[in-house]
Amino acid sequence: MRLSGKRAFVTGGRQGIGRGIVDMFMTEGAEVITCGRGPAPDGLDAGWLSLDVSDAQAVNAAVRELGTLDIVVNNAGVQVEKTVVDSTDVDWDLVMGANAKGVFNVCRAVIPQMRAGGSIINIGSISGNVADPSMALYNASKAFVHGLTRSIAVDHGPTVRCNAICPGWIETGMLDAGFDLAKDPTKAKTDALARHAVKRFGKPDDIAAMALWLASDESSFATGQLFTVDGGMTAASPLNPGLF
Amino acid sequence: MTLQGKIALVTGARGGIGRAIVARFLKEGAAVYVADLTPEGSLDKHDDDGSHFVKLDVTKEADAIAAMDHVRSTHGKLDILVNAAGIEIEKTVEETTLEEWNQSFAVNSTGTFLTSKYAIPLMRAAAKSGSSASLINFGSYDGFIADPGLAAYCATKGAVHALTRAMACDHGPEGIRVNAICPGYIDTPMLQSFFEGDGSGGGGGNIETLQKAVRDVHPMRTYGTPTDIANLVNWLAGDEARYASGQLWVLDGGLSAQVQQMKL
Repeated sequence: MRLSGKRAFVTGGRQGIGRGIVDMFMTEGAEVITCGRGPAPDGLDAGWLSLDVSDAQAVNAAVRELGTLDIVVNNAGVQVEKTVVDSTDVDWDLVMGANAKGVFNVCRAVIPQMRAGGSIINIGSISGNVADPSMALYNASKAFVHGLTRSIAVDHGPTVRCNAICPGWIETGMLDAGFDLAKDPTKAKTDALARHAVKRFGKPDDIAAMALWLASDESSFATGQLFTVDGGMTAASPLNPGLF
Repeated sequence: MTLQGKIALVTGARGGIGRAIVARFLKEGAAVYVADLTPEGSLDKHDDDGSHFVKLDVTKEADAIAAMDHVRSTHGKLDILVNAAGIEIEKTVEETTLEEWNQSFAVNSTGTFLTSKYAIPLMRAAAKSGSSASLINFGSYDGFIADPGLAAYCATKGAVHALTRAMACDHGPEGIRVNAICPGYIDTPMLQSFFEGDGSGGGGGNIETLQKAVRDVHPMRTYGTPTDIANLVNWLAGDEARYASGQLWVLDGGLSAQVQQMKL
């Protein structure tokens, strides 16, 4: 029980990576509150807040009610699969609202309420370091998360630690939406798998395991860093002649 | 003529990238020492281009000393050093013999060290004239992310990157700028050998198909030419780059800016 006695707030815990983190934190003894747009999902044991993180007023009100926190995970995020030229103002508001402003809203509200030794964990992305094609706003929003992560670590270091996890391709609805763009989704998936050193995609639990370490006191000297968990994909060149 | 009056020495100067650098330096008015194992180098031909050939095996300390003595006796200074000599062994760690590993480091890393070591006093002399001296190493995008079956090469280039920053720190105060260029895929004898080699996955397959596939993975849909690299070397060598030091300059047609490309 590595998180006994700790209170955690995880955004976007309905499904995918967020749900994996919520479940693992609870297994390790934390009291967990999560949130999302709409009602609580079935079978969730954690506390639930119906909350859109892009709404600053709503975030401030919800966080006031939460009281003291030890761990905050900014996981809520959306993606729109478009280039810059194809992206609309609505796309900008959606992606930057949730992925960039949402992380800012939550961090601004929670930091004054965090106990000394607290840990903020932001979900960045390998796409914030190198570009996924036709994901322009998403890529940019994740680079924002990386920059904000370092700023919070530097500015609030004595009290809280702040790190980001950069997941690679994790088996979630988001990954399937990416493959659906391919002319031949099955072929695209086979090709993508071949480019992973570990020859599999990630699972939400792979990311939750990193989040657990960053949330625990074992990582008390880790702050301001980006931790990539991608099965070795970005360690390799995008050009792999053996696959052609 | 941005390099008028400057003295330059280029190692690996008869290789694919080296030749393009020499040609550009001559065009820009520099006096150029062409250092290589033979006057022909890897392209097996020699152009009488007005450069001065110096026999230099970069792995031999005596050769480095002799080459710099030659420059000292003629010009008394060196404004520009380009460490372009390099080799690659297309093998994994498990397949690489200790001899191959040592040879990779001897040329790519130790060679950069030795040539720099004996050039720095001459470059310090050049910097006294008022404009900075420029030392340009060859790293690689492989020093950041790995190509399969190139283990020793990747490691030597990582070493060059760190050495570049270290030399920039140590010799910046003396007026010597130190940078590394990190090429991606450039059309050279080394690249063609990679296409044909076992490590490429080409395995004797259709080279044309392989080359097209490699081009298509680049955002610019082509691999680079030695001239592309020479253009950046020329900028870093000249006084326009007087504030540029300690950096690793990736030039790869956008290859390493992207995540592994999904076949869409």
